[in-house]
This record gives sequence, C-alpha cells and structure tokens, in this order.
Amino acid sequence: MFWKLFATDVKMLFRNKQALFWSFMFPVLFTFIFGFFFGKNTSVGTIALVNDSDTQIAQSLDETISKSDLFKVNKDIAEGDIKSEIKKSKISAGIIIPENFGSLDPTSPKEVKIIYDPGNAQANSVITGFVRTYLTQASFQVQGVKQVFSVTEEKTSDKALSYFDFVLAGILGLSLMNSSIIGIAVGMSKYREDKILKRITTTPLPSWIFITSEITSRLIINLLQIGITLSIGYFIFDANIYGNMFVILAVAITGAILFQLLGFVIASLSKTTDAAQGMATAITIPMMFLAGVFFPIDTLPKWLYSAVQYLPLAPLLRIIRNVMLEAGSPFDNPTNVIIVLSWIAVCLIFSIFKFRLSDE
Amino acid sequence: MTNKKIIEVNGLVKKYGKLAAVNDISFSVERGEVFGLLGENGAGKTTTLEIIEGLRKPTSGKVSVLGHDIKEGINSIKQKIGVQLQSSAYYSFLTLDEILNLFCSFYPQHLKPKELLEMVDLTDKASSYVGNLSGGQRQRFSIVASLVNDPEIVFLDEPTTGLDPVARRNLWSIISKIKAQGKTIILTTHYMEEAEALCDHVAIMDKGKILAMDETHKLIESAENPFVIKFIAKNINKETFKKISSLGEMANLFGKKNQFELRLKKQQDVNKALEFVQKLNPEKITVGNATLEDVFIELTGRTILED
Repeated sequence: MFWKLFATDVKMLFRNKQALFWSFMFPVLFTFIFGFFFGKNTSVGTIALVNDSDTQIAQSLDETISKSDLFKVNKDIAEGDIKSEIKKSKISAGIIIPENFGSLDPTSPKEVKIIYDPGNAQANSVITGFVRTYLTQASFQVQGVKQVFSVTEEKTSDKALSYFDFVLAGILGLSLMNSSIIGIAVGMSKYREDKILKRITTTPLPSWIFITSEITSRLIINLLQIGITLSIGYFIFDANIYGNMFVILAVAITGAILFQLLGFVIASLSKTTDAAQGMATAITIPMMFLAGVFFPIDTLPKWLYSAVQYLPLAPLLRIIRNVMLEAGSPFDNPTNVIIVLSWIAVCLIFSIFKFRLSDE
Repeated sequence: MTNKKIIEVNGLVKKYGKLAAVNDISFSVERGEVFGLLGENGAGKTTTLEIIEGLRKPTSGKVSVLGHDIKEGINSIKQKIGVQLQSSAYYSFLTLDEILNLFCSFYPQHLKPKELLEMVDLTDKASSYVGNLSGGQRQRFSIVASLVNDPEIVFLDEPTTGLDPVARRNLWSIISKIKAQGKTIILTTHYMEEAEALCDHVAIMDKGKILAMDETHKLIESAENPFVIKFIAKNINKETFKKISSLGEMANLFGKKNQFELRLKKQQDVNKALEFVQKLNPEKITVGNATLEDVFIELTGRTILED
C-alpha cells in the first residue's frame, strides 16, 4: 500500500514542473547571488591608484597595493576623473599618493588620500584598513621605533571561514523551510479544496500512511535541494564545508521534517488554499530575517533575540553551521537539539489532533 | 448476507450548532436496488450520504451498513463500498490509468483499471490527465473510480449535475449497467426525471427531514392529481374555462397561448374530462400521468406554506 502511494507521490512531485522548478531555482538563485558577492576571491573590485611620488616609501606602498589580491589596480585613471569613475561604478575607490610623499623633507605631504563612495562600506573598510596598516608600519620604520603594543588574534575556529560559508548554511535552511512549509501547506489545502483528501478517506487507506508518504516523497526533493545547494557552493564558489556530509544531511532532513510538519499545522488551520498560502508566507518571511539566514542574530536587541532564538529555523541553523563550518556534532549544544525536537513534537501532536483528511 | 436490508438508518440526526442539517430521519435500502435521495440544495442529502460513508459523525441515531454499525465497523464497511463525491477533483498530475492503479492499491481486492475504463468508454483516455477530460468524461471517470474495489454498495452524489442532456443519458446507462451487476446504488439528485428513470425507491428530503418515501411509481401515484390532460384549443372563453375547472385543476400553461393543462384526481374524471375536451375541437390532446416533479413540488411547496 505504502510503496505504490510513495512512488506515485514522487511521480507527481516531479511532474509538477512549475513547483519543482521553483523549489530548485530558489536555492540556486540565492547561492549564485551570494556566491558572486562573497564567494571565492572576496575582491572589493578595482581601485584607481595615482602615484605622483617616487620616494622609496611611495614606491613600496604602490607595489604592495598592486600586488595585493584584495583588489585589482588601475593606474591609468587621472586624479580628476576618480570621483566620476566611482559614480559610474567603474571603480570602487581611488588612492592618491601625492608628490613627494614619503620624502623626509618636513614640508612634504604626509597624507595619502583615499576617495571612496560611502555607500560601499565593505570596500571602504578593506582599503582604508589596508593603507592605514601599511602607513603605521612605515611610520614606525622611519622613526626607528618598534611596535610595543600589539594584538594577537585568536579565532574561535581555526578554520578559514568566509561570510559566504556562513550564508550558504543559511540558504540551505531557508530553502528547506520555504519548499517544505509552502509545499505541504498549499498542497494539502489544495487537496482538501479538490476533495481529494475526502475521497481518500472513503477508502480503507489509513491516514497515517497517506501523510507518511506525502512527507517522505517530499524528502526526495529536499535531498536534491541540499545536494544542489551545497554542490554549487562548494564546486563553483569554493565554500568551506568541514563537516561530515552524512551528519549534514541528517540534520538538514530533520529540519525538512520539522518544516513539513509545520506545513501540516498550517493546513489544519487554514480553510482555503489562499489562506494557507498567506499563512505560510507570514511564517516564512519573518523567519527568513529573524532566524539568522543572512546575518547573525546575536546583534539584535536583547529582548528580540531572546524571543527569535527559539524560532524553528534558528536552532536548526545553529546546528547546521556548527556541523558544516566547525565539523562539530549536533549535540555540542544540546539546547539546539532540544528546541528542534520540541518543535517537531509540538507540530506532530497538533497535526495528529487537528489535521483531518475529511471535514470532521 | 441473508439480510435484505443492506443499509439501515434509524433516527439519524446531524446538528451543526443549532442547525439540524439532518433532523431525525429513518430509512432502509434493499440489496440490489437503486435508492434515490431527492431534494433541493441544502436539504441534507449530501450530509446523510456522507454520514453513511463514514465521512461525518452523526449527532445521534443509528446507521448500519452491510450489517456493521458505522461507529465500530467503518473500516470493514470501507472495503465494500464505493464512493463518488459531489464535484470531486482527482490528482492533476496523474493519468486516469495511474489514478485507478493508485486507488486499486488501497484495497486488498480490486478490479483491473483497463476493464474499468472500458466499462465507461474511456480506454482511449487512459493516459490523459483528468484536466483534459470533458465534463461528461470526468463524471464517468469519477463513477468508475468508485468501482475499483468491486463494491457491494455504490454511493453517487449528484452524478449528473451540470451535464448536458446527452452526457446525462450516457451516465444513466452506466448507472443501470452497475445495477445490472447486482450492486446496490444510493444516489442523490435534484433532477426529478432522473430519479424517475433510475430509482426503485425514492425519499424526498427537505430541510433535513424526509417528507415522503416509497417505491418511485407509488410515490408518483400518490400525487394529489395523478392524471394530467394537456390540450391545445382555440376559442376557450372564461365560461368554458370555468366549466372545465370544475372537473379538476385547470391551468393555462405558463401563459402559453391556447395551451392548457388539466390535472385530475381520479380515473373516472379522466374519461369525463376527455369527453368534454373533445367537444372543444382541440388541435392536440395528450393524456399522461403526474410526474415525480409534481409530487415534489406538492410536498415541498406544502412545507413552505407551513412556515
């Protein structure tokens, strides 16, 4: 009974080309967008370099900038054109080393000028940071002083991680959430509207088999989503994935089951397909921003954080990131596992009591 | 099973809040017959049917199907009944053949999809989606989908609503085919001529109650004026009209010129009236019976007056 239904459900999911397209297009699109912005060479683009000085310090700065792989350097732009080129987005900033800069003559200019667009925060911090650090070092050398105080950096993780790695895990959770919640909520409501659920109840097929088949067949789609998202991130944008693939899959699938159950909760509460669609959107959109898909949520005001950290997606993303980026175990922080399992239990119990194939 | 009564409904009540959708009805259906529940929309036909099918829980009353009480025995009942729901859609992304195959898999014993499609003349549509069928084809499919488990009882909820006359006749012949297989059919309809053509027994429902129930022909005979003479005649003045009216219920057919209808209580009246009408030199004269529709209007009309 189950396998026939399961095979048929899978067949239907793959025949519904439009829904299928979007459940894959969504994570693919997001991965590509974030990949292009933050993946691989986190280059901040091209900068213009105008060097009017031939002193040793100036030449050495020139060389260091040119050799850096943080940005491409264009030396053919005149000082006067820098602002307009930035406005045209041809370059992201300009560095001007004035004439005689670096000479020990007290009247010579002591400042390197950086022109930037205040809107491009990322490029600005990279470029100014880079030039400042260089000049500090240079100043010390000129004065013959050794740096006394300094910083030793210690990362919480010894892994090389980028923002893209962080966001890739987010996209993974996000796409599982979207396709599972909306897929089940809308799918089941549509079945109810079309009286397919009612028709099923007139047969001896037990409801739990029907529901199990719905969930497991969709997990096939979820597996493909996970595979595609991670493959694009890993092979095209050099994402760092340190965790064990099987553990990642197990965690992601647990998440998918949670979201499908949440979909059943929505389907139990909404009378029409439109209502289900609305309710699903009302749940997924805030979660997308408040559960830490694109940025860490610990920067939120404390009162807000203390609430949103319990949203179903939030602990799931914490677990996924811990496994994917730190090669940790899902049980490193049992609280997260407890929250996820509690959500599963709550949604399951609610669905068992409230989700009915027939009207009564 | 020795019991002739295949479905027994006793004192069935279904309340939604204060509204009684089904208000204390009792009836029984015999093996092998076609039983019709008639009534306007909202009369409680579908609710009654869905309670018997196990889709809704009764507020009170006893329903047994094939000897099983629906409260305890619904699972064994489901094995042996076939249900066609009112305006039910089927999976959009499965072909007819696949849908039947799927439904077959829900039952331990079932018929072959191919034979089923043959029965309703849909063999060449086996690999089409339901969305590509015409209204009549869709209804035919919906009926045949209720036959996958070779059920003893078939429930058809408004099987012909919204169909054109040809498609409706086509469906009637399918229903009679199902009956010929020895299956019991219980159907709802608000087309009286359909009930007259198909049903052995009918129950007329209104506002959750059964107003009348009998064998179809007996119910028709129970009409207040079971006989009808229709005629077309010119030059009928008020005086003649009055005279004829003394014989029975005389009416000018919905204002049509020169067309009249005379409804009569007794066979003797028919002879008398015919004699009278002949003298008027009618262009055309037909003698017939009242229809189920007449009975229906009489009965439900009466309840409107009671309000």
